[in-house]
Amino acid sequence: MAALKATGVDGQLFKRALLGSLNWLAANHEEVNRLNVFPVPDGDTGTNMLLTLQSAVEDVKESNAAEVSKIAKLASHGSLMGARGNSGVILSQIFRGFARAVEGKGSLTPAELATAFEEAANAAYRAVNKPTEGTILTVAREAGRAAATAASSPEASVPRVIAAAAAGARAAVLKTPSQLQILRDAGVVDAGGYGLQLILEGMLKSMEESEPAPSSIAETRRPASPASQVSLDLPEGGWGYCTEFLIEGDNLDTELIRGQIESLGNSVLVVGEPELVKVHVHTDDPTSVINLAGGYGKLLKLNVGDMSTQHRRILETAGAASGARPARANGVGLVAVVAGRGLVEIFKGLGVDAIIEGGQTMNPSTKDMLTAIESVPYDEVLLLPNNGNVIAAAKQVVGLTKKKLHVVETHSVPQGVSAVVAFRPERRGDENLRAMKAEAERVQTIEVTHAVRDTRSNGVRVKKGDVIGLINDRLEFAGDDYPEVVKKALGKLGPDAYELVTVYRGEQASDDELARLESEIRTNYPGLEVEVQQGDQQHYPFILSVE
Amino acid sequence: MRRSFAVVTDSTADLPNEWRDRYEIEIVPLKVLFGQETFRDRVDMTDEEFFRRLAASTSLPTTSAPSPGEFADVYRRLAQDHDGCISIHIGAQLSATAEAARVGASSVDGFTVNVVDSETVSMPIAFLCRIAAESSSLAEATAAVEQRVPRCRVLALLDTLRYVEMGGRVSRAQAMIGTMLDLKPLLLVANREIKSVDRVRTRSRAIARMIEFVRAEQPVERLAVMHAQAPEEAEAIAAQLRNKFPDLEVPVGQIGCVLGTHTGPKALGLVYIKTQSR
Repeated sequence: MAALKATGVDGQLFKRALLGSLNWLAANHEEVNRLNVFPVPDGDTGTNMLLTLQSAVEDVKESNAAEVSKIAKLASHGSLMGARGNSGVILSQIFRGFARAVEGKGSLTPAELATAFEEAANAAYRAVNKPTEGTILTVAREAGRAAATAASSPEASVPRVIAAAAAGARAAVLKTPSQLQILRDAGVVDAGGYGLQLILEGMLKSMEESEPAPSSIAETRRPASPASQVSLDLPEGGWGYCTEFLIEGDNLDTELIRGQIESLGNSVLVVGEPELVKVHVHTDDPTSVINLAGGYGKLLKLNVGDMSTQHRRILETAGAASGARPARANGVGLVAVVAGRGLVEIFKGLGVDAIIEGGQTMNPSTKDMLTAIESVPYDEVLLLPNNGNVIAAAKQVVGLTKKKLHVVETHSVPQGVSAVVAFRPERRGDENLRAMKAEAERVQTIEVTHAVRDTRSNGVRVKKGDVIGLINDRLEFAGDDYPEVVKKALGKLGPDAYELVTVYRGEQASDDELARLESEIRTNYPGLEVEVQQGDQQHYPFILSVE
Repeated sequence: MRRSFAVVTDSTADLPNEWRDRYEIEIVPLKVLFGQETFRDRVDMTDEEFFRRLAASTSLPTTSAPSPGEFADVYRRLAQDHDGCISIHIGAQLSATAEAARVGASSVDGFTVNVVDSETVSMPIAFLCRIAAESSSLAEATAAVEQRVPRCRVLALLDTLRYVEMGGRVSRAQAMIGTMLDLKPLLLVANREIKSVDRVRTRSRAIARMIEFVRAEQPVERLAVMHAQAPEEAEAIAAQLRNKFPDLEVPVGQIGCVLGTHTGPKALGLVYIKTQSR
């Protein structure tokens, strides 16, 4: 098999390459995190890419498929489910493009591998609305070009093509500051691009280690429970069980399986490829589901979770969703991404059916959002990401759920609150989407936090620890204390045009700081009404909604 | 020529004094109870005094309907120089007043009293009284009023839900507002129901939405602006509406004590009667 390894990329070689990527990115993701150009504590690029890659590799680890196409498909699907943050979403599109390029192939020649890299970059470009140079996109493209050049040489080999791709990526990463002003200002290279460079370097490392690490082989051999031995006690009147597993088999028909599983439960999700299908269902009778699925092939990664526990985690926040609150006339559910105990209560109080905990530094994955959306008892759902870095992953969910999903593109908590307030249960989903979007755009957001690094952004120079004020996600002011920064920010917005300031108090803000902030606003802008709400959000001592 | 039938209403109609005098409309007062003290609405206490006390009072006042006996007294008096009467009252879903009127009327022999449950509150009732007073016979008046009852609307903006909640007429769930944010609900009283039609964060947005809402309800045949201690705002809204509805008079009225107990101060209302669709 050594000869094959040297000349072609088969399924197991590609799997090893992906595991190499994962190890290398895991070892270095903190370095990627530090490349954040923004001084605000937000979802770190390195962490988002690592979690996305982990999800990509998760299903790959279980597979012994010899064909590269099968492994690539699994990685594509896994990365899509695990996509977090903008960089994670783009990474998932890179995997998708790669999987498309290698469709039907058992093994790749060096030239085919290079083409696949190029196709991966093209897919990523297509997935982005307004592609920007100096980002992960550029790095992906340059890696593809370098790979193509290497593949056209007479001495082309798989390791050489990968080495060329990694080198091309590295060179492109170094050039990113010359392409993007914000990188130049902050004195860093692009984080997402660097993350991709690490992924390619990790692949190269796996080539260089002649023998695959024994541990990675051992991991793939997790025994699956034979269906006949599974038996579960069902509590009476419980929530049922969230049952998840993979079916490994031949010519699996996802439509057929979905149809049968739907008769046994709800929130059914059946996705995958003819060789491997992922099943998710909420059922009172997991035994029957498992017996049914066991007839199609081998079950892997069987996980039966008692939903009464899960509900506490994800859906407790839904409050009356399934209980006291009557079903809405329009059949439209509301799902929001929110972090902070107080903010969760506020969104619940406004009628949101399910809440995905997350947001600023903890960007939820596509799958987290999908699970919440599947959990609400409505076939049409409005999803509020409430954070600029969550929107891309939220949009991915549209293609993954059978429900009619609208993403209300809210960039902040105040936008999210305004949007939810505008929701009307007697209005159709698309009408609500329009009205909610319009309301979200009327509100101005001021966020106050501390700089997590020295940098310059939007012409403002900040030192680590400075109080910084952002208006609608743009860094506008830096200073020593909260009231001063808020006063400047309100002054910049022009307080005469507004009536109400809602202060969402974060976890870190003390009573005294709150009192001083309130009095500063009232003294300087007597025309503004001030309302204080306990938000309990992390990282941002104050978030202000100005309307 | 003197009208042969009398027109009776109750104090929740928010009937302007000028209309009362011009059309000779009889008003039966509901009662407001501040602790042990009882006041007859718009008789023992002016609206200004009431809202001053409401703001100062630690416990909320309660309200009560007139007794059947009080209605009977009024009908008996009117029977002396009228052939009959139409008695138009606050919606039965909101108050026992119409029921008291019915019971009171049954005890007055030989005098026709057509009690109308208006299904609404505030100035739409005053409009109905005017329409009745301008009719040429009791039968015509009753028909004209009854066919308009399903078309009466009250769109209210409450500055706070505190009062209406204490009064038990509307819950936060009904108003679609949680307990956290200070939301301003727009409530619509129509066809025996109170429902929330919108909720907004600021008063000026709420007012803009109210005007939009009424514009979407066109055509309307009567329209008024009601307020509880917010005359300037009400006048400004009325001026806007007169621009948008040049054929309508758009009077401004004051929300009386009984209704004010439930709306609280600074409430605003756009009240109207929709034109019958053809």
